[in-house]
Amino acid sequence: MPLRQPGRLLGLAGAGLLLGVVYFVFDPARYPFPRCPLNLLTGLYCPGCGSQRATYALLHGHVAQAAGLNLLAVASLPLLALGAADGIWAALTGRPRRAALLYRPWLAWLVAGLTVAFAVLRNLPGPLGSWLAP
Amino acid sequence: MEQSYNPNPNAGFGGMNPGGPPPKNWLVESILVTLFCCLPFGIVGIVNAASVNSKYAAGDYAGAQQSSAAAGKWTKIGFFIGIGVGVLYAIAMFMGIGSGIMAGMAGRQY
Repeated sequence: MPLRQPGRLLGLAGAGLLLGVVYFVFDPARYPFPRCPLNLLTGLYCPGCGSQRATYALLHGHVAQAAGLNLLAVASLPLLALGAADGIWAALTGRPRRAALLYRPWLAWLVAGLTVAFAVLRNLPGPLGSWLAP
Repeated sequence: MEQSYNPNPNAGFGGMNPGGPPPKNWLVESILVTLFCCLPFGIVGIVNAASVNSKYAAGDYAGAQQSSAAAGKWTKIGFFIGIGVGVLYAIAMFMGIGSGIMAGMAGRQY
């Protein structure tokens, strides 16, 4: 598949760029962006709540504000960047690279544990809960 | 970081896992779905991704492939439901149906 992979890469890059522009121009706190269906139905905060506003803040360089909206999203950035680099490398060379770090059991279980803990803690009352809530 | 394609050179004797390189674990994709699709399916994907890594490290290649398929399934379910909700939301907004919802949630924006 010498042609298909770079085509997919270009498509993904284009979609990412488009979303980046949308989230750079429009502040999700002021425009009617799609709301979290779980939050709308139950009032609970899922691990993704606040990620749209956090994306807007990150694109404007406000890292602390983004961390206040969704700490997990900001903490995941290095891992997501590694995964993106891995995917780009695989698409360009045509072979799966499978970055070793992403395949460490401890890392993946750490991510799973932190995600579940984040989901629970941000719904609890108290200073920690309100800090982690969006 | 090591250059090897095999994340755990100690898995199996002789250095290589008998099944070959690890199956796709969907870890990054399931994190993205968890963060942006706002549904519990992404977490199921992450847990299955971790399971891929554990089983592969233990030399259980068939089990790792099963977990890989499960991780992919839940990640895709979360992704497409997330896209679907976004599209429905956009249609509702466009048709003005969403104005009632917006009025109901005014003041809850932040």
